[in-house]
Amino acid sequence: MMPKQDQNLPEDTLQQRLEQLEAGVPLDVCLKDLSQQDRELLKMAATLREAPSPARDPSIVSAQRAQVVRLMGQQHRPKSQTSRAEEETGLASLWNWLRPRRAYVGVAGAVMVLFTCALVAFLALWLLRGMSPEVEVADSPAEEQAIAEASPVASEKERVTQFPSPEPTGDESGIESPLQVPTPEPAYTAYMPVVSGQGARDPEHATLQEIRGLVQVQRNDGAWGPVREKKTVAAGWGVRTGALSSAVLTFYDGSVARLGPNSEVWLDELDARQADGPRLVALTQRMGETEHDVAASTAAGSSYQVRTASSLGEAKGTRFRVQVPQDDLARFNVDRGVVAVTGQDVTVDVVAGQSTTVVAGEPPDAPTFRITGEGEVTQTGATWIIAGQPFETHAGTHFVGDPQIGDWVLVEGRLMGEDVRVADRIVLLRDASANRFTITGSVETMGRAEWAVAGQTIMVDENTSTEGDVQIDSLVRVEGVILKDGVLLAERIRLLDDAPGLPFGFTGIVQGIADETWIISGIIINVDDATTVDAGIAIGDIVNVRGWILQDGRWLARTIRHVSDPERSFAFTGEVENIAPWVVGGVPFQIRDWTEIEPGIQIGDLVSVEGRILEDGTWVASEIVLVDEDEDEDLLRVVFVGEVDDIDPWTVSGISLTVNEATAIQGDIAVGDRVKVTVTILPDGTWLATRIELVDKKDGGLGCVTITAVVVGTGSGWVEVPNRPRINLEGVTVEGDLQVGSVIVMVVCVDEDGSITIERIIVIYNPEPIKPPPPPSPPETDQDHKVTVCHKPNGKNPHSITIARSALEAHLNHGDTLGPCK
Amino acid sequence: VDAAGELYDRHNERIFRYVWARVREEQTAEDLTGEVFTRMVGNLAGYRTTSVPFQAWLYRIAHNLIVDHYRKQGNRMLVPLAQAEQVREEGNSPASIVEQRVALGQVQEALEALEPSQGEVIALRFLVGMPLREVALTLDKSIAAVKGLQYRGLITLREQLGLE
Repeated sequence: MMPKQDQNLPEDTLQQRLEQLEAGVPLDVCLKDLSQQDRELLKMAATLREAPSPARDPSIVSAQRAQVVRLMGQQHRPKSQTSRAEEETGLASLWNWLRPRRAYVGVAGAVMVLFTCALVAFLALWLLRGMSPEVEVADSPAEEQAIAEASPVASEKERVTQFPSPEPTGDESGIESPLQVPTPEPAYTAYMPVVSGQGARDPEHATLQEIRGLVQVQRNDGAWGPVREKKTVAAGWGVRTGALSSAVLTFYDGSVARLGPNSEVWLDELDARQADGPRLVALTQRMGETEHDVAASTAAGSSYQVRTASSLGEAKGTRFRVQVPQDDLARFNVDRGVVAVTGQDVTVDVVAGQSTTVVAGEPPDAPTFRITGEGEVTQTGATWIIAGQPFETHAGTHFVGDPQIGDWVLVEGRLMGEDVRVADRIVLLRDASANRFTITGSVETMGRAEWAVAGQTIMVDENTSTEGDVQIDSLVRVEGVILKDGVLLAERIRLLDDAPGLPFGFTGIVQGIADETWIISGIIINVDDATTVDAGIAIGDIVNVRGWILQDGRWLARTIRHVSDPERSFAFTGEVENIAPWVVGGVPFQIRDWTEIEPGIQIGDLVSVEGRILEDGTWVASEIVLVDEDEDEDLLRVVFVGEVDDIDPWTVSGISLTVNEATAIQGDIAVGDRVKVTVTILPDGTWLATRIELVDKKDGGLGCVTITAVVVGTGSGWVEVPNRPRINLEGVTVEGDLQVGSVIVMVVCVDEDGSITIERIIVIYNPEPIKPPPPPSPPETDQDHKVTVCHKPNGKNPHSITIARSALEAHLNHGDTLGPCK
Repeated sequence: VDAAGELYDRHNERIFRYVWARVREEQTAEDLTGEVFTRMVGNLAGYRTTSVPFQAWLYRIAHNLIVDHYRKQGNRMLVPLAQAEQVREEGNSPASIVEQRVALGQVQEALEALEPSQGEVIALRFLVGMPLREVALTLDKSIAAVKGLQYRGLITLREQLGLE
């Protein structure tokens, strides 16, 4: 969408462009059509946003945080007069709420009152939501939760949803019956004053947060069951995640353990004290991947251990990941600090940037440096080339999403001497997006090999899927690829006739199944008699679900199908509820630098979102586009991505385009660049381009990787690492104190022409300098200009006195001794 | 208790950035940042009675502390224009300021030459990254007024930085 100088006041125009800028629209696009002064103002505003802050002293930040936590603890303490056992139960919480208010009513009466209040509040909010904009109090659901917990008053709230919430099955289990639909994320929120003590309120408990997908706990009694956000667990409990799922365990001392998909962890020991004693945390990881951010502890005897079948890792104040891809193998990757990894009584220290692998029955491998990054795949096979860097694959290399040449992937691997890179994991992030199209229109002819839709010839083959009973004159949406010479090959044809809403489709994990409602990857899915469901689907299964988003916002499934090798993609349409972070139609998702976002999108707009689902269930959008609600225009609209063959006249992927003064051309486009084109097909067959926007520059680069290495030499303006020529630091941003022995991360980017640029060097670990023991210093008082001596007047009656340091020599001369008398 | 830490984690950097932009001394900025969160804890119970976003509420605390700070110091937040002139003369060509990265210290000095409410809006909008609506709620002004302050503030700032 072309930003145009409108008739608004200058401050309105500037604000509109600022909002575009804040939404991620490139500056050069936002500057278009502005007056010279406004261009300068916008550029300056953009620059201000990037102005660096001064580096802060981490010890001050840490002390401030500790002070805030301590103060909050003091505020909460007087309220904790109930026993722990009482706090575990909802009834006790209810009683706690009632007691200070001297509400001498029966519990049953109170429940009735609360239920009525909740119902009224819910109805009122439901009505209000439809009639007036919601006041955004917190910046995000997570913040709202944090405020609710932190506030002594606000914590007396609990969400009530339009769905019935299952009661916990035990005193503190919090486990939901697997046959019930777990509490969904509320579509509407009301509050009722019921205390819910679900925080990591003491060192012997941890809290499960940021639950995504299917997360279950198992107690000593052997029962597994899905849990809700803020579930508290203790020693002896197990936690596991399903596919496309993740969770965070937060300990009392601030340490955090993140569980990735298909992971299982048991809490062996848990006494996560902050300062009044040693912090003791011991976990056993049976499978999957965990990431640990361990709070520093100065208490003697503190320990944070992760045990696997083959090894044990122990850390004090560090960040590291543990992968257990199979029973007899574990890999430790350290991001900060040091982890001591032990196997077969052999211990190796793994420092930041390093990795070690331990096979059961063997000692740990010698630590190697890691390499990670994102970039375009230009070669596959035994050796992959990603972001211009070669990676050897091996039997244990884990591929996610079937990446192909041209796709954009995440790679994680290791440097194995002599500059050999080994890939351990390659994750598809974005498909090669060139030469695709979508078209909406009526079916005019239907042949075996070709159809005509909206006047266009569409090729079909055995891979083309057709959804719905498509007939001549049916209204359909066709998606596919543009072949050489502009031939349109359909991959998917969807019937839009009688569509009750806007289409959606995604792959997710089944979390709950009820007669009319399912929960799939946290999204509430409605089913009805017309929904086709594969037989045998159970909780924990991965399914592909497609259907319609109805006008009332409900997601109605048309098909729910088992998928064995999940195509981890999603697509849906909804109203923009928030930008940064993005929430559309109630669904939160992430964006990346390469996410294509149509300019001008604002809160309240109707947009179509497509993207991929990462292993942990995170949704990452590859494209967010405005949905044109004017169906007459939509009927003949084609959107495709292709390479620019010529710009005078315009030709993209072999297709001749008509460009006029109304065409919005965004970006500095040249022949060879990849562009996204929106076209209206005129009755005479002309393809009139309404928008052409730059997707990738021809020389836009193949991506960047981060390479970890240890510094073997450094001097003024240069640094040396093994197996590389000396690196000139001119133009390279260096963060941290470079010295011999430093472990550094180099951000290496590769241009399309293969040239390599080192953009940044970050020091992530410096060896502790060996310091000589400090000279003995005199005992000092609080005021460092005074000292304490043992005063012996005339050699008798010795007693301790504090004197000015300037008088020390005189006292020593008459027989006094330094330090207090013993 | 964890939640208080979470709120601190979420906001402390930007609160510090905002305070530092207004007071210019790192140690003072650290002290005031700590005080902002101390007051947050003390007043959190009262927060629910407000209808402003939490972030706006937090910045109101910060704003009030900054005003108190200057009041106690007996200082005015404005500095003579001569000082702002000095900003231009310290070897920072206009082009280098825009085309490279503006040093926050230069912006701080230039900000002080702005009319206070313009300075507040510029700091909150661009140094903190707060949306316009929240700036309006934080400063208890209308959105139209904030838009005007933002526009005029940028023009004045540009002049002060010698970019006109």
